[in-house]
This record gives sequence, C-alpha cells and structure tokens, in this order.
Amino acid sequence: MVLLTSILVLAATVLSIPLVERVLGRNTGWFAAAVLAALTALIAAQAPQVLGSDEALTYSVPWMPQIGVEFHLRMDALGWLFTLLVTGVGALIMAYSTRYFPPGRRLGFYFLMTLFAFSMTGLVLADDVVLLYVFWELTTIASFYLIGLSGPGASRPAIRTFLITAVGGLALLGAAVLLVVRTGTTQLSAILADQTWTQDSTFTVLVTLLVVVAVFTKSAQFPFHYWLPDAMAASTPVSAYLHAAAMVKAGIYLAMRFTSAFGEVFLWNAALITFGLITAVIGAVFALQQHDLKRLAAYSTVSQLGFLIAVIGVGTPEALVAAAAHTVAHALFKSALFMVVGLVDHEAGTRDLRDLGGLARRMPVTAAIATLAALSMAGIPPLLGFVSKEYLFAGLLGASGGPWAGILAGAVAVGAAAFTFAYSFRFVHSAFFGEPRGERRAAQENVHEAPAAFWLPAALSALGGVVLGLAVPVLDPLVNGVAQDTTGTAADAHLLLWHGFNPELAMSAAAIALGVLLVWRTASGESYAGRSLLPVDGPSVFERIHGATIRAGRRVGDLTRTDAIAFHLGAPIVMTIVLAAAVLWIGIDLPAPAGQTSRPLDWLLVGLMGVAVLGAALTRSRLAALALIGVAGFTTALWLFFLGAFDVALTQLLVEVLTVVVAVLVLRRLPRTFHPVTRKRSVLTALIAIASGLVAGTAAFAFTGRRELSSAADYFLGNAPEDTGGDNVVNTILVDYRAFDTLGELVVLGVAGLIIIAVLRNSDLLPVHKARKPEVPVTNPVFESAPNTVLMRTVAKFLLPILVIWSLYLLARGHNEPGGGFIGGLVGGSAFALTYLAASSDAAARIRLAYPAIIGSGVLVALGSGLLGFFEGSFLLPLHAEIPLPGGDYYHFTTALIFDVGVYLAVVGVLLAALNELGLENGGTARPATPPSPPGTSEGEFPDDTAPSLEGTGATAVGVDTTTTGGAR
Amino acid sequence: MTLAVTIAIMVAGGVYLMLQRGMVRIVLGLLLLGHAVNLLIMSAGGTFRRDQPLLGINPPDWAADPLPQAFVLTAIVIAFSIVIYMLTLAASGSDDDTEDAS
Repeated sequence: MVLLTSILVLAATVLSIPLVERVLGRNTGWFAAAVLAALTALIAAQAPQVLGSDEALTYSVPWMPQIGVEFHLRMDALGWLFTLLVTGVGALIMAYSTRYFPPGRRLGFYFLMTLFAFSMTGLVLADDVVLLYVFWELTTIASFYLIGLSGPGASRPAIRTFLITAVGGLALLGAAVLLVVRTGTTQLSAILADQTWTQDSTFTVLVTLLVVVAVFTKSAQFPFHYWLPDAMAASTPVSAYLHAAAMVKAGIYLAMRFTSAFGEVFLWNAALITFGLITAVIGAVFALQQHDLKRLAAYSTVSQLGFLIAVIGVGTPEALVAAAAHTVAHALFKSALFMVVGLVDHEAGTRDLRDLGGLARRMPVTAAIATLAALSMAGIPPLLGFVSKEYLFAGLLGASGGPWAGILAGAVAVGAAAFTFAYSFRFVHSAFFGEPRGERRAAQENVHEAPAAFWLPAALSALGGVVLGLAVPVLDPLVNGVAQDTTGTAADAHLLLWHGFNPELAMSAAAIALGVLLVWRTASGESYAGRSLLPVDGPSVFERIHGATIRAGRRVGDLTRTDAIAFHLGAPIVMTIVLAAAVLWIGIDLPAPAGQTSRPLDWLLVGLMGVAVLGAALTRSRLAALALIGVAGFTTALWLFFLGAFDVALTQLLVEVLTVVVAVLVLRRLPRTFHPVTRKRSVLTALIAIASGLVAGTAAFAFTGRRELSSAADYFLGNAPEDTGGDNVVNTILVDYRAFDTLGELVVLGVAGLIIIAVLRNSDLLPVHKARKPEVPVTNPVFESAPNTVLMRTVAKFLLPILVIWSLYLLARGHNEPGGGFIGGLVGGSAFALTYLAASSDAAARIRLAYPAIIGSGVLVALGSGLLGFFEGSFLLPLHAEIPLPGGDYYHFTTALIFDVGVYLAVVGVLLAALNELGLENGGTARPATPPSPPGTSEGEFPDDTAPSLEGTGATAVGVDTTTTGGAR
Repeated sequence: MTLAVTIAIMVAGGVYLMLQRGMVRIVLGLLLLGHAVNLLIMSAGGTFRRDQPLLGINPPDWAADPLPQAFVLTAIVIAFSIVIYMLTLAASGSDDDTEDAS
C-alpha cells in the first residue's frame, strides 16, 4: 500500500499544481517540498522491512490484461535507495526553487518538476518492463520541456538532449520487447530471475547492447556525454535535480537493476568498465578546463557517472556496494554544489570564474557549503565521498579479465580522481578565495549572503555528506541490501572511515598527491582553462549528423518527388499490375462458377460500354468526353438494373445526371479541348491502361461468382422484414443494420460540400472561358436570353413542386419500395438543377437557401435519430411504433425514417452548394451587388425564396452562356 | 464473364484517362474507375441471382445479394461528392493543367 500511496500522492500533486500555483506563485515549491518530504519520511519508515527482512514491498493491479501487462510496483533495497534519492533531493530542490526564482507565476516549472518526480519514482519502482519504459520516456519528456522552458536559446540544447535520450529510450523498448517475447512475461523481476535466456549468447549480446545504449545515453556516458553540459541551458534547480541527482541516475539504476542478469556477461563488464573509465577521465579533464561554474559541475557529474558505470561494470558484490555508497555520496555533494552555483549566480550576478573570487568574505555560509561539498567530491576524509571513493577503488581493482585488468582500471581511476581533486579545488578556490577579478570587480563589493531560506537546502545536502561520512556504518544494511538485490550474493560489507593500510588508501593518497601537483602546475586549472583539447565538440558533431540525416532523407525523397499528378497516380497502378502478374505466374486453383453468370442481353451493355469508353479516351473535346463518360455512367446504371439492384441503378442514374450538370458548370470555364500530350506518352499510358484492364477483368472473372449466396446476404434476406419492418432489404441495410456506415458516409458527403464552399471562399473560380462566350450581334434573336428560355422556365415552374413532392414521397416509402433518403435527395436536388438550367442568365440563377445549414442539419438530424436509439439500448438502434390510421390500418413508423430524412437533407444541401457555388458567373463568392430587378420583367414568377430570382437581362446580355442553357441538354 | 469484360473495358479507359494531363481528364478517369469498382463489388455478390431484393414483390429465393448493393449505393454518392470537389479544384485558381508546359 505504501507504494500505491506514494505514486498516487505524487500523481495528485502533479494534478493539483495548476490550482496551488495560482495561489502560491513561486512559493508552490514549499507545497511540493512538503509533499516530497512527507513521502521521504514514509519511504524511510519502510527501512526495517525492506532492508531488514530482505523482503520487497510489492503492489500490482491489472493494467492491460489482454497482453498481460500489469501495473506492478516493487520496492527492494535498490528501489528504496533510488526512491529516497528522488523524493529527498526533490524536497530540497523544491524548497530551494522558491527563492531561486523571482516572485511571479511558475506554473510550467512546478508542473513539470513534480511530473518528473512522479515519473522518476515510477521508474525506480516499476516492476513491469512496459511500465518501466513508459516512466523512462516520461522523464525524458519532462527533461525536454524543463530545458526548453529557459527561453529561446535553450531550444536547440533541449532538442539535442531529447533526441539523444530518446535514442536510448528506443533501445530500452527494443530490449523490453525482446525480453518479453523470449520470456513470455512483462514482469521485470521475473525476467531477471529467468536464467534461461542468459544461456543464449547471441540473444544476450543483443539485449546487452540495447540496455548499454539506454544506460549510456541516459547517464551521459562517452560518446553521448556531451548532452549533459549542453543541458545546462536549463535553470539551475532543473540541473540540480534532473541533471545531477535524479534523471541521470536512471541509467545508473537500470545498470544496477540488470546486473543480476548481465553481471557475468563479458561484453557488459568490458563495455561498462571501458566506457565508464573513459567518461570518468574526460569528464574530469574537461571539468578542470571550465570557466563557467555550472559547466564545471556538469562535466564533474559526467565524470562521477563514469566512475559509477565503471564500478557497476565490475559486477561483484563489493563493486555494487561501492556503487550504492557512491550514488548516495554523489547525490548529496552534487546537488549541494549545483545549489551553490545557483546561489553564486543569483547573488554575484555571474558564474564565470574569471569574474569571481574572494566571495568567501561576502558569502561565508555559501562558501562553507561549497567547501564541504567539494571536499566530499574530492574524496577527503572524513566525508562520505572519501569512504565511497575508497570502495570505488577497491571495486575496480576486482575487475575480472586477467590480472592486469584490475590494476589498469585502478590506475586510470586514480588519474581521474586526481583531476577530480583539482577541479574540486578550482571550484572552491577560484570562486570563494583570493581577490575579486575581472571587469565586474567593483560590483562584487556589493554582494551579500543569500537569505537563509535560499541556502538552507544546500546546507542540508552538504551536511548530509558530513554526517553520513562520520556515521558511515548506518549505510551498511542499505549497501548490503543493494548488493544482495543486484548480484544475488550477500556482500557483508562494513563501511568504515578507517579500515587499515590497504591498496585503496594508497590509491586515495596517490590521487590526492597527484591532484595537488596538478593544482600547483596549472594554477588550479587556470593555465589551461578554455583551451580546446579536441578538434570537435559534441553539439557540433551532433548538429552535423542531424543535418546530414535530414539531408539524406530529403535526397531519398527527391528520387520520387514530382508535381506531376500522373506519376503519383501511375505508380500504384503499375505496382498492382506487377503484383497481379506475379500471382498469375504462380497460378491459383479456382472453384467452378456457382451458376449461370452471363446472360445474352448482357453483351449489349458490353458493346455500349466499349464504344463509350473508347470514344471518351480518344476524343480531344472536353464536352464530348464528358458526354461519352455520361453514356458510360448510364450503361453502368443499366448494368446495375440488370443485376437486380433497382435502388442502386436509380441512384446511379440520378448521380449521372447531376454529375453532368455540375461538370458543365465547370467546363465552361475551361478551354474547349484537352491539353495535348506527346505521342510517346499516349502509347505508354495506353499500354498501362490495357494491362490494368486485363488484370481487373481477369480478377473479376476469377474471383467472383464462384460461391453460393454469402451468409450475411442469407441473413438479411431472411430476417429484414421481421427485424426492421421494411421490405426493401437494401434500404434496411442502409438505415437499420449498417446505419453507422451510412452516418459516416453522410459526414463525408457533408464535408465535401463544405470544402467546396471553403475552397471557393479562398480562391476565385476561373472566369467563363472566352471560347465559350460567342459574340452575338444584338440583332440576333439569341441575344435576348429571357425570351429564349421561356419554354424551359414554364416547364420548370410546374415541374419544380412536383419533383420536390415526388422526392419526399420517394424518401418516405424507401423502407419498403425503391426510394429512400439518397434517391429522394437526388431527385430533390435535380429539381433545383432544373430551375437552374432554365434560368435566363447565370447571374440570375441564384438559389437563396442556406445550404451549409441544410448540410449541417442533415448530419445533425441523422445523429439525433441515432441518439434516440439509446432509449432502447444503443446508438442508431431504430425504434418502432405502430401508428393507427383511420380505417383500422396501422402505419409502421420507425426512427430509421428520421435518419433517412437526415440523409435527404445532406444530399440536397451538397447539391445546392455545388450548383450555387459553381454555377454563378463569378462563383458563389464574389457576388455582384444585385441590382434591383426592373419592374415587370419576370417578377413574381417564383413566389418563394427557393426559386431563382431573375435579374434584368440588359446588364448581362453579352455574357449569355450557351453552354449553361444549351450544353447540358 | 460479361461483367468481367465490362469491368476490363472500364478500368482500361479509366486508367488511361487518369494518366493524361489536366484535372478534368483525371476526374473523368476517376469517375469511370469508380463505376468499374462498383460493378466489381456487385459481381462479388454473384451475378447468377438477379432478382431484386424487394421482399414485398419478390420471394427471397432468387434475390440478388443485398449487401454489395448497399455498399455500392453509398459508394456512388461518396464518389459523386468527391468528383464535384475535384471539379471545383479544376475550375478554381488557374487552368486545370496538372503539369508544366510539356
């Protein structure tokens, strides 16, 4: 329960930050610190059980039971150590943050910091690899945003940090997937206890490499180490918490966690020791070179992490004891040092060592804190850092792989420790002692000690190192517990400040002596600070790789990038032909046809289609092509009728008519003929076309009509009247059985209509093409458009109401007989198209209906009828009622009819949109101000709003468009 | 067989038009291809049963498969909305040419 409580409390804290911050502002840190301190106490109180009885606390609840993932938490000694680190250091940093920032709102900072505390706690407690991965990535994300918060200059560092750590996240995911697939469980402790997979050396090497990448990226090991100094763009509390004490320790945690599986894998030992020591050395060397205190601390962290990784790589119980002790020591002295950096920066206004010096007189407390922490870092007795470094040396001496391996590792470690001593000295000496230097010397005279609330967290952290150094045996149960958890062997270590004359003591002495020499020879680092040791630096290498990757991607894209639509359309077609050819090459067995699939009359349609399609392909006239495609569409409708699909045939017929109407409205804005293409292209595309036709025909012949009626069809035909009260099975499928599909389709239809409107609001329609505007002399009878359209207008006047009523009738009867919302809507739309075509001029044929609203109401009506279904249990379930009619009959009413009304409205709305937007001289957008109609022209012919209003003919006389009135018919 | 031949003709014509230059031809090609695919879906129901699935008129014994019919009905309307959208694109902005001068 403790585990669940901790996680839930942290989650609740994250969620409450937006409210608390509103009240407390920067002091939200007190609230977060209080929560974290309480949790620290709660966790610490578990010591007797976790450390004493060797029995881990566990909690689990199913999370994704389908794939066996559980929300599984577990706290053994290792987990206890890191949880305490996260909550304890977290509490100090949160308290420190309240004074670090100037008064004001800090929502993003506190939200992300608590989110980080939550994810980091989850990470070290997770006992499920999926959960572990999720928390791992959450820490990466929190880090990314926290770095990015520091302003525009931090965005590249944030991105670089994110990408590097994300690479590690992917590696971890890869390792997790491999392990889960191999072991069949996602529980981390079970995976680590399962020894079967470690026997397979290839598999183990693969998993080891992936885990090593995850560890190295997260814990800033060479060659990924540079992200950590880069991340110093973040504010100091962030650096202190994430990039010194907690997040970079996630890699350390992972390495320690996997020691039980990899402890004796040679690759693991070699990689960790080698790269750990390289990192320890270069981190320490670079640290001594820095002018910026914060970068010095960052490189120092890199170096210390290198020590930890190297000693974990040794894999013996003694080495893990050292790793556990040094983790504690490092968390204490490094968070204190980072807080000191913040104190100095805050009070002195700079953290550049060239502008500091002599601060001890002005800031004595800060100087004392810095000195204590630095002594621990340098490994001076009696501080905790001294003890842990002794054990580090001892651990490294035990490295396996030949008698010289331990000695070599120890020697390198002594070298790195000498530099550690030197840069620790540089940190304290250059900032706090000597005389003030640099251009800001005068300003340094006014520096004051920071307020107590500001330095107290740092002091607590630094004093922790002193207390634990003097009382170091209290750590025994912890370090032994960690050794037991990670290596499976009891270490029986007894940490002591003084444990006799032994090699480690000699090594410590050598390191300090060499360090003193180094300080003396380099004037505490000054003489070679800022000098570049390598021809390249990490961020620029990263940027070069990053840029090259993006360029490579662009180049790959260039291979196929073209604006020619034909290429994009052709590629999938050609690929389909290739696939089909492959299938034909292999050959397949086909059952015999289930019945007589062809009838003699069908050939008539084949012939008709052949003529229409051939003509459409060959003609260069747009209008002819449109007409011939229209013929193909009508032939399709006939085919559908032949196949017993009356409703579908009717729909096809209506759509075909309306397509031609809309297409004509568009074609008059375009040239008469198609754009010419080269003969070569015609031949090539004809070949592709014929091949694809053959493929499609073969496929249709081979795969269809070779089975009896499908079971779905059998069901619909057998049960439709009973289930839905409708005899028209197709319509019942549309509005009853599969109404959800129809709803989706309705939305697509509506959106298409709205997009048409939106496109034309943003770009104007082409004007009517000049070739389509014959100049007619005024004396010609054609000039007068109004008299010329009298016949059509008279017919339309009577036809319009009849068509609208008929369309409603079709809608209403659709459930039992041919009809329904689609057909009704199309007939209704045709009525408007007719009045449109009959109008005397295109400027006049305006339909004054709010068609976007009609489209929207159609979708809403359909949705609303679907919601009614909830009365009976589910969305879109039709409700039925028998309404008594005079004469004893009953009318079967179903809400499916309301749904169909929605369909009807959407179809009509889209048609109105297309006609109005595309039909007007300048499109529906740039409407010319309507001049008042001259009295007596045709006023009053159409009394209501739905009818087109007619304008005076004189104004648009020259623009009479023969296509609008003549071409469509 | 007859329906397969029809589909072959329509697909060939549709693909040919789609690979030409200019939006209008592409739209016409797509229209033809759409019809062809609709017929293909219809043929999936089996073309040996050709009575209308109107149970008030016909017995279900020889009624055609209603499911592809429902699919095709909605497909026709969707194809229509896409076609008029593409026609809008063809007629707005500049010429409907889809390629630089050849």
